Amino acid sequence: MSEPITQAITVVVAKDLEDLIPTFMKNRAKELETLRAAVAAGDLEQLRQLGHRMKGVGNSYGFEKVSLLGKRIEDGAKSGDRAGLDACVAEYTDYLARVSVVYE
Amino acid sequence: MSDLAAGQVTHVVHVAQDAFRVLVVDDDPDMAGFLARLLTQQGMQAEIAADGNAALATIAAAAPDLVLLDVQMPGPSGFDICRRLKANEATALLPVVLITALEDQESRVRGIEAGADDFLSKPVRREELLARVKTLRRLHETRKELEGRRLAAEIRHKEEIRKAFTRYISPRLAERILNESRASEDVFRNLSDRAAVVVLFADLRGFTRLSETVPVSRIVPMLNEFFTVLTAAAHENEGTVISMAGDSLLVGFNVPVPQPDATSRAVETGRAMIQRFAPVAARWQAEYGLETGIGVGIESGEVVVGNVGAPSFMSYTIIGDPVNVAARLMQKAAANEILIGPVASLSLPARSLPLERREVALKGKAEPVAVVSLTVAPA
Repeated sequence: MSEPITQAITVVVAKDLEDLIPTFMKNRAKELETLRAAVAAGDLEQLRQLGHRMKGVGNSYGFEKVSLLGKRIEDGAKSGDRAGLDACVAEYTDYLARVSVVYE
Repeated sequence: MSDLAAGQVTHVVHVAQDAFRVLVVDDDPDMAGFLARLLTQQGMQAEIAADGNAALATIAAAAPDLVLLDVQMPGPSGFDICRRLKANEATALLPVVLITALEDQESRVRGIEAGADDFLSKPVRREELLARVKTLRRLHETRKELEGRRLAAEIRHKEEIRKAFTRYISPRLAERILNESRASEDVFRNLSDRAAVVVLFADLRGFTRLSETVPVSRIVPMLNEFFTVLTAAAHENEGTVISMAGDSLLVGFNVPVPQPDATSRAVETGRAMIQRFAPVAARWQAEYGLETGIGVGIESGEVVVGNVGAPSFMSYTIIGDPVNVAARLMQKAAANEILIGPVASLSLPARSLPLERREVALKGKAEPVAVVSLTVAPA
């Protein structure tokens, strides 16, 4: 991650999805907790499933980074790359802390 | 995986009553909500099922017009659901769009094998979703229109057959044949065939004197009354009225549908004809001083059954020796007597009837024929 920790990440979301975003963001926060627990438990199958889901849903709403991280988590779970998975979870944590949404 | 908040997304969004209905099947509430939102914005009605079993239940309750189906779900997978829908006659034409990961070529191959109509890639692009749904919607509506036309043609065809057949058989029997579509196909496929039939002939005793005595203008209404009574008795016992000629009526049993108790039905029909006609005969006697009654002949055996005639006039008829024997027995029968031929008498019902056995000489038969006589008291 090259962005300074304090810098916000702005995501542009279609105006007609605005009312869905609060639930979407809550679900991402829950997802992060589940990812952490799965990494701690070494549950690669769950990590693969979570990554697959993130990959599909993220960019559909306009959150490209969620899809990119999802793909890395899915691939990392398949190959058993625990260090890579740790890094992804850290990156996701940072992303969710800084992301802000604008509607157009 | 299933603890994500569904928020507002599980609501069914109702639009117009006849709106195009799409069932979105996805265990991810965010993805399902996203898809539903895009569809409802286009005036469609979107419903959400969170897993395969819920999807099958929703479809069974009221089939939608289109299914958007995620591949990876708890319980039955999208492939399983798609296969089941395509294997079921009722849902085989329901368009199914499988939602797969963009790079997942293997899933697409499996989806094609499962019968999917189209694919949508995750992440979902709004334009792609709407274009695919639009195409399938058009296709589905064309299919529905064609199916509607086919059904309308089938209903018209059945109605024509019903009208044609109710000339011969009781409306109740015609309805039963038409409701059992496979049976009706068999009936009409075998319109020209050999068949074992029980034949009943009935005629009016005293008709010659009646036609000489009664004014001509009254003869036709009287004959109509006579045939109405006889036809009702035949239909009551699910007999097939094959022809009317002069003052006689030909009724077949075990045709066009099998009737294991055909002989009993024929005997019951003869009895009902005599008993139903009795009050009419009493009235005619009071008005014109004429004795009338009904003579009945019954025989069974193999006959040729078919539509016989010229293209402009076809008649459903039966031809064969049992028909001739029944006609001659009818001529021999006294008023209010049923004469049952040697073959039909072998399968008479076991219950006790006031039967009398005797021999009669029949035209065309070298030897006298053993028959059974049943005299019916016109109750």
